Amino acid sequence: MAKMSKLLSIVLTGTLALSLTACGSGNKEDSGSGASGAAGSGSSTSDTTKDKNITITFQNIYPDPTDPKNKIMNKIVDQYEKDHPNIKIELDSLNTDQQKLKLKTQAASKEIPDITVVNPAAQMQPFVDAKLLAPLDDMLAENGLKDTFQDGLLDWYSFDGSTYAVPDGNNIGVVYYNKELFEKGGVKVPSTFEEMIDVVKTLKSKGIQPMAIGEKDTWTGSFLFMNMLLRTNNGPGFLKDVLDKKKTFEDPAFVEAVDAFQNLVQAGAFQEGATSFDYNAGENLFKTGKAAMYYMGTWATGGIESSSVNGKVGVFKFPTINGKGNPDEFMLAPGSAFAIAADSKHLAETKEFLNYFMLSFPKEAFEAKGAVGIGQKVEGDFKAAGYSDMAMDVLNMFKEVKGGDLAFDNTMNPGTAQAHLSSIQNLFAQKKNSADVAKEHQAGFEDNNQ
Amino acid sequence: MNVLKVSRWTIAAFVLPCLIIYIGIVFVPILVSMYSGMLDWNGIGESTFVGLANFKKLLFHDSVFWPSVRRTLMFAVFSMAEIPIALLVAILLKRYVRKPNFLVSSYFLPVILSVVVVGQLWKTIYNPASMGGMLNQILDAVGLHSWGRAWLTDPSVAMYSLYFVALWQYLGYHTLIQFTGISNVPDDVYEAARIDGAEGFKADWHITFPLIVPIFKISIVLAFIGSLQAFDMIMVMTGGGPAHATDVISTHMYNMSFTSMKYGYGSSIAAFLVVLCLAATFCINFIFNKLEKRYS
Repeated sequence: MAKMSKLLSIVLTGTLALSLTACGSGNKEDSGSGASGAAGSGSSTSDTTKDKNITITFQNIYPDPTDPKNKIMNKIVDQYEKDHPNIKIELDSLNTDQQKLKLKTQAASKEIPDITVVNPAAQMQPFVDAKLLAPLDDMLAENGLKDTFQDGLLDWYSFDGSTYAVPDGNNIGVVYYNKELFEKGGVKVPSTFEEMIDVVKTLKSKGIQPMAIGEKDTWTGSFLFMNMLLRTNNGPGFLKDVLDKKKTFEDPAFVEAVDAFQNLVQAGAFQEGATSFDYNAGENLFKTGKAAMYYMGTWATGGIESSSVNGKVGVFKFPTINGKGNPDEFMLAPGSAFAIAADSKHLAETKEFLNYFMLSFPKEAFEAKGAVGIGQKVEGDFKAAGYSDMAMDVLNMFKEVKGGDLAFDNTMNPGTAQAHLSSIQNLFAQKKNSADVAKEHQAGFEDNNQ
Repeated sequence: MNVLKVSRWTIAAFVLPCLIIYIGIVFVPILVSMYSGMLDWNGIGESTFVGLANFKKLLFHDSVFWPSVRRTLMFAVFSMAEIPIALLVAILLKRYVRKPNFLVSSYFLPVILSVVVVGQLWKTIYNPASMGGMLNQILDAVGLHSWGRAWLTDPSVAMYSLYFVALWQYLGYHTLIQFTGISNVPDDVYEAARIDGAEGFKADWHITFPLIVPIFKISIVLAFIGSLQAFDMIMVMTGGGPAHATDVISTHMYNMSFTSMKYGYGSSIAAFLVVLCLAATFCINFIFNKLEKRYS
């Protein structure tokens, strides 16, 4: 009898343990398919009913409802769902940084959403190497989608002859300036970097904040710095030469760029405490008329248009440094791009949707006045459609682009990029010997490319 | 020992489910992260086993690592040094304030605020005067202009500015814990002490403190572990910048694992953090065991 009860208790304990673990896995599934769109909900919601009802998870970086891109997305998605009643598009809208982090976590557990967002070249390479993304060549051939993209743009998203992602944008780095503040300070648009330093000093002496930057995010300063390197190197391709071991970071062109950058910082160009301003806070200084110049990719155009300085803003190309470089060479910023998970449960349907989405994108963007800097060719008269003068200036500048460089973190691997980003950030905090900065870069590069 | 009159096997059987879960969610991940620490892995693709190479690099060739350890330990020291102050505040509240609950609750208020809110608040306070920073404006107003600086972006003071915010936020928390401890000391002990001639701080030293040593220990352990885990506030306020000047172990680990995509290397930092935590807990327990023995 005693033995019996002992046995019973063990059985009961076992049941308890089982029920506990059952609960555990149940919870996991719940959170997986939650409306918040947690980890990989798309691939896990495989309805066994039939192939009829399909949910496609669409991870995107348009969470802000005031952003034209958010409206465009919702409009196209609604239309598609109306046309295809059996397909449900589940949006997982996140901020850029959150999305990057979430995707990495999802990738580690091989649960990438059906559609996700990746960044060009070196940044998406690890995902392609790990075979997590589906090649999209067949999708691009369908309905002539490939020809809607600007020439050469898809190259940034292609590896070994296959294209793995389709970009929503293609931007260049420009200097926005506040015409009213320039007038108040009595300065003109600089045509050389030396003049630019003078403009900074003059503005500063009149109590006007010369430039704004959100350097807590580190890529902002790097983007500007790389534009200077593009000038001092007398043309694009410096990082590629370093990767090919034809040059090192201790090359005179690099040291000269660091010197120029330090001159700008030491002239007091940027707001005090710049390294604690995140991207939005930095941009807001310019958008509220508290700073005269702002170096940024042309994706900022829409935001500036909807701010209080609209109408007072012009753009100019980053000038030559010590007479070197060509202002028509720009920092190129092929945008974030949509990719499809290789192990998506509904690969065919997802491709069909993304094909439709990208085909509709330029037209909708044009109508929503969000077509400045998109990656596809746009038909239509921008001026007649009511685009602002600044937007027209930016669009004209696009026509003058004669090549350029990609951002540092799109060219080098993440480890090297991180070393570079913090090294540049440090220049905002303290003056350094430029040769040491170059050495720091070279050490960081060698450390991460063994 | 066996007062329940059940066999050891039965006890084992009932403990087992919990034990399995505990091992599954605590020990297995620790071991897994120690193993990942020996991989050269970007978190996504293929990984290669590299043995102790990550640890070797971490301990001998990482220029960010040891400074970040130092900052983490400083953080712990400051947090623990705060506990006696919290105790003093609690004693003063208990003795001189008639209805102390309101004050205790007010001191506790910052603790319930989200770290993001606190971070943004202090960021605004620390801003340069030209950006409306309160602290610098006050310094200007009282003629201490030369003391003013960019509190969060000057590498020599940025970390101290962060310590201060953490101390400010958690003073109320520890005061509350100490206050509760003091309130549980029976009054008659003090009466007896008064007859023997011990009053005021003398009584505190000889009576209050020895009686609340266990509570004191809880605060110390919480403060220590809290500061080892410090992450969110630093992320919100400086992001570890400028140029690693405010990186602590956890932010360094985050940067390595996620932004530099060296998942294996990040895991080796995590493993170090676990060892550090264990060692520190051991030390704290050792010291307090001695203290408790002395007073009991």
